[in-house]
Amino acid sequence: MTGARGPLLAALAVVVAALAVYPAFGTGYGVRSMLQIFMWIALAGSWNLISGLTGYVSFGHVAFFGIGAYAGAILVTSAGWSWPVAALAGGLAAVLLALLIGYPCLRLKGPYFAIAMLGLNEVLRALVSYFEGLTGGGNGLSLPTLDATRSIYYVMGLLAAAVTAATWLIVTSRFGLRLMTIREDEIAAEAMGIDTFQHKLAAFLLSALGPGIAGALTARDQGYIEPISVFPLAVTVTMIVMVLFGGKGTVWGPVVGAVVLFVAQELVWAHYPYVHPLLFGAIIIGVVLLMPRGVLGLLQLKYRLPRTI
Amino acid sequence: MTVPLTPEMVGQVLISGVLSGALYAMVALGLALIYGVMRVINIAHGPLLMLGAYVTYFLYSRAGLNPFLSVPVAMAALFVVGLVLQRTLVFRVVDAPELSSLLLTFGISIALVNLAQNAFTSDLRSVEYITGSWLIGGLALSKPRFIAFLFATAVTGLAFLFLKKTRLGKAIRATSQSREVALVCGIDVRRIHLLTFGIASALAAGGGALLAVIVAIQPEMGGVWTFKSFLVIVLGGAGNYPGALLGGLLLGLVEQLASLFLTTQLSEVVAYVLLVVVLLIRPTGLLGGRQT
Amino acid sequence: MPILTVEGLRKSFGGVTAVHGVSLALEGGRIYGLIGPNGSGKTTLFNCITGLERCDAGRVVFKHERIDHLRPSAIARRGIGRTFQVIRVFPELTALENLLVVTRGPRAAAERRGRELLAFVKLEGLAGEYAGNLSYGQQKLVEFVRVLMTDPLLILLDEPAAGVNRTLLNDLLGAFGRLRDEGRTILLVEHDMKVVMGLCETVFVLDHGEMIAQGPPGLIQADERVIEAYFGA
Repeated sequence: MTGARGPLLAALAVVVAALAVYPAFGTGYGVRSMLQIFMWIALAGSWNLISGLTGYVSFGHVAFFGIGAYAGAILVTSAGWSWPVAALAGGLAAVLLALLIGYPCLRLKGPYFAIAMLGLNEVLRALVSYFEGLTGGGNGLSLPTLDATRSIYYVMGLLAAAVTAATWLIVTSRFGLRLMTIREDEIAAEAMGIDTFQHKLAAFLLSALGPGIAGALTARDQGYIEPISVFPLAVTVTMIVMVLFGGKGTVWGPVVGAVVLFVAQELVWAHYPYVHPLLFGAIIIGVVLLMPRGVLGLLQLKYRLPRTI
Repeated sequence: MTVPLTPEMVGQVLISGVLSGALYAMVALGLALIYGVMRVINIAHGPLLMLGAYVTYFLYSRAGLNPFLSVPVAMAALFVVGLVLQRTLVFRVVDAPELSSLLLTFGISIALVNLAQNAFTSDLRSVEYITGSWLIGGLALSKPRFIAFLFATAVTGLAFLFLKKTRLGKAIRATSQSREVALVCGIDVRRIHLLTFGIASALAAGGGALLAVIVAIQPEMGGVWTFKSFLVIVLGGAGNYPGALLGGLLLGLVEQLASLFLTTQLSEVVAYVLLVVVLLIRPTGLLGGRQT
Repeated sequence: MPILTVEGLRKSFGGVTAVHGVSLALEGGRIYGLIGPNGSGKTTLFNCITGLERCDAGRVVFKHERIDHLRPSAIARRGIGRTFQVIRVFPELTALENLLVVTRGPRAAAERRGRELLAFVKLEGLAGEYAGNLSYGQQKLVEFVRVLMTDPLLILLDEPAAGVNRTLLNDLLGAFGRLRDEGRTILLVEHDMKVVMGLCETVFVLDHGEMIAQGPPGLIQADERVIEAYFGA
């Protein structure tokens, strides 16, 4: 598809340029919304790395977002770190958590891993309420006031771009192919000499980094976090819906899913807040039954597009 | 946090463990049936339990029906719901890769929980029908839990009788052993799938109905039950229906033991750790054998 | 010096013993056959050797190293390759990617070799086709050359002739011969007796999980126990 490459890259450059200058023109609400879109792109794209490529569904991914948020917030408030560095530390904390969970759990076969990650949600819920009682953590954690929304906009945008770029690099490499074989036929992959455990673990660790950083950045931006705001199941559900809708295992699928669903959410469902989560459930059902490859996956199949879509 | 272990405590742990174990077993049996017959991992199992609890609650608060009498009502209602779910949605992923059934039932569970949140709000409800405990020796026997135990044991016993003795029950067991052979024997496998999902939903709902008297009812109460049902199956051996009994008992006992040293909230963490540990120790070759 | 020895291998599934105290030794640079009626434990034996199943008892030694406790990918990387009775190509990877994915070194060299191997089985035009779209025979060939990509010393083939047309089969048999001449060892499970008897220097016979005979094809064909296992009682 080299013929289309030139115009596509040019279009991409235009979009990036527009996004770069947007804060100068946009409203506070607009910038905040874009910031959120970037965040969802980073989250969805990261979830795609483990669940889309290897087929190992992570139902507890919000854990990494929450850990990153808390690590980042604590480092800013108690240790006086600057928020960018704290954000990186948040990512690191998430990766460490992923190692702790992934090391035992990724030895399990796909369905059992999914169940274990499902349990992680329940455990998080339990731990959250436990620590609320213990530390009075229900009052949350306040960060020193700082209006850094613009800077965070750029950093979050960079994060979204980095996650998408990383996905592109992985999908075009043999490492990515090997991840896909885990999804296709894990037994055959093992028999061909691919250490599936190491590969799953690597993908899992990579998939935790983005949410960790995003969590810390969000904590800084909101200025205040409490357990229920950074560990809700809804975050994982949203990640999943976005990737399923856009196309799991593709490069731009999570981006498409994040943009479309976030915009739809803001425009339509903000008026019907109680229906919104129900609709996500319906979308998951619909996509799984009718469009399991998602929008881009379907296009990829129909028009024989390259894997880098 | 060393707690001196008295015989009373051990006795209490045993009793409480057995009481809750029966309930775990009953609910988990439903999940085991769905997995055994259809190879579907039903993440929506917990929400079905929750709906059963709400049936009991509303029958009690609106119509004054004895909550224990509403158990069969809840079971019947959710049996129908289960049939509908299977007939419209789940049947499509029975032969699909496991990923599809996982995501589908996940979507269903989200939808069910949020339907409940919309319809019933997230306010905590409770059925204060019977409270307190009988004192036997130095041990407390919680009244609602004991009655729930009796019901759970009865229902589970009936379920096993059904599976062993009736033609339909044998057909279900045959299908879970080998669908191909069942087909050859003239069993209408699609019908079996339908009925199995209905029965499993009924079992979950029964558990929910019994729970209504014991714990607070809210839309998200089911999630932890889905997870614990899986734990029970893993403990007892997947694909092994009597194993659900053993697994349920084991889970009940371990949890009660843990609650001596930890708060009840942390006992869920115990369950989680237990799951991970058991899954790691079990020799699961990649091919895994029929069990997995 | 045998490159592979199996001693007293036993494997049961629930109440069924699939492999019952099987022992064998394979020398380098030979072609061996493994035959037996359906259900005699041939594929289970393959699975135990390659680590896909954990054997209940016995040992497997490859190149002086005991491998029966290793994970399958570690065993494969030590130089054992295999194909499957039911074809296991990666359907959403292209034919070429199926070959690339098992390699480690420089990509360009791997791609070259991949294309060469595809050309050898006359599939070079389908290199960019998703493996899932290929015909049964084509998938089988892809699976076979995929094994060769890793330069294995021992090659286990599970029914390589099934579903392959006559001309290509001859090419394949020629390839097996060349691999043998390069010093590699091939153990193949086959039901096509012409292939087995024509190609293999030694044949092992399994029945109900036990090794009932081993030796040159001529002797095996005349062995009473073998005849009984296939046709009798």
